[in-house]
Amino acid sequence: MPVSPYEWNESIRQRNEYIEDRLKDGSPVVAISYDNGILMLCLRQTQRKIYEIYDKLAFSAIGNQADIEVIRTGAIDVAHREGFSRSPDDVSAHRIVGFAISPSIKKVYSDPFGAPLVIRGLFAELGKTVEKDQYVVVGYDGEFSNSSGFFVIAGTDYAEDRASLYLKAEMESGTLTLSHALSAAVYAWGLGRKHIEEEDRADGELPKDREQTGDVSSFITEHLKGAWTVEAAILERNTHRESRYRTLTDAELEETLAKYS
Amino acid sequence: MGFDTHGTTVIAVKYRDGVINIADRRATAGYTVMYDQAEKVLALDDYTLISISGSFAKSVEVVRFLRHSFKYFERSQLQPMSLDGKLQELSRLIAGNVAAAMEGIGAFIPVLSTFDREANTGRIFFYDAMGGQFETGEYGAAGSGSGPIRGVFEYILRTKGPFRDMGRECALRESITMLEIAADLDTATGGSAKYLPAAKYITADGIRDFTDDEIKTALGR
Repeated sequence: MPVSPYEWNESIRQRNEYIEDRLKDGSPVVAISYDNGILMLCLRQTQRKIYEIYDKLAFSAIGNQADIEVIRTGAIDVAHREGFSRSPDDVSAHRIVGFAISPSIKKVYSDPFGAPLVIRGLFAELGKTVEKDQYVVVGYDGEFSNSSGFFVIAGTDYAEDRASLYLKAEMESGTLTLSHALSAAVYAWGLGRKHIEEEDRADGELPKDREQTGDVSSFITEHLKGAWTVEAAILERNTHRESRYRTLTDAELEETLAKYS
Repeated sequence: MGFDTHGTTVIAVKYRDGVINIADRRATAGYTVMYDQAEKVLALDDYTLISISGSFAKSVEVVRFLRHSFKYFERSQLQPMSLDGKLQELSRLIAGNVAAAMEGIGAFIPVLSTFDREANTGRIFFYDAMGGQFETGEYGAAGSGSGPIRGVFEYILRTKGPFRDMGRECALRESITMLEIAADLDTATGGSAKYLPAAKYITADGIRDFTDDEIKTALGR
């Protein structure tokens, strides 16, 4: 155990550095509200990244896959226990994160001799209207926050900020359709990921003049030609199906991706 | 047995593109009509319907459990539960209820219909009180009104041909007529005068409700 305040500070600092260094390469995930639901989207190489947690709850994360699985299965267990013993209406992102996930992450993080969870997780909760949609992001130290409209998780704060600014502007024109949300999400992903890859090489932040539409578009095209594929799932507000969550098919993505081929 | 809400007719028939499920809306307790808007055709997942007969309270609890169980499996394991796995769970629940059912409490017998996407065909399973499971090629029915109409199914099969060759409207008309006959012959089965029967169908595209207009047309109104 650290014996002095200085040592405590130092151990926390090293711990954060260790985690942030591992999170840095994480491919961004974009979650955005549209008229008939919530869209979650990312480009990925091999590992699936977007998951259904409960009737109106989806989850995605960047970080260590084993750690992501721990949080994912933990959230599924809590949500189902709660939804079965009370009602599915009592399962909310805020309750799951605030009362189950965040305290557990904080506990692991606070143990100086244990390996901390390398994770930045995003829970999306479908509401009755776009305004009621909730996004709860939870960090490796258990810190969490709520927001509405959209959320992006990425490897660095700066990449998150840049992608978020873009989405904010996109959403100012009013409620999006799915097709608009899809193109906005793909572009925001490209913006975020481009920052991460270039920061990595340049060891600094990407200048904003490298965010020209053409640059980002060709960056996305390049990735799609390589080993990257789009993974997109939606939580549908109005559906006759028993499950609101579903993965979008290639046919449904075709129109959006046509401009990157 | 006056406190246990039960008594019904539920019918499942195959048709050209899948399976149709219909049920009356009456729930009874002894000689009392408890409720005339009961929902007895319930979706367990996007391709599976369960039509319940027997104890209403027990059935609803079983349906809630199965829904959660199937979804929990799919969400946590990242693959849907197999059809065999689902059937196994339902059989186990019925078998586990035998002792209580023998005491006269909470006996329930469902009919389970699903669209088998691998075989690209609708499938219907019915059960005995011990949890024994039977697959049927044409139709399944359960509830107090199902006995009196059993011969009608056979009559239709012999005179009009198999249900699985019928179109959707035709199969709905035949099964709704049988439900009306069951309502005439069985006090615990409600008629369609006050509230329309519940009717759903499953195809390769999932589960849909019949519209009120479709049901009225099938009833000849």
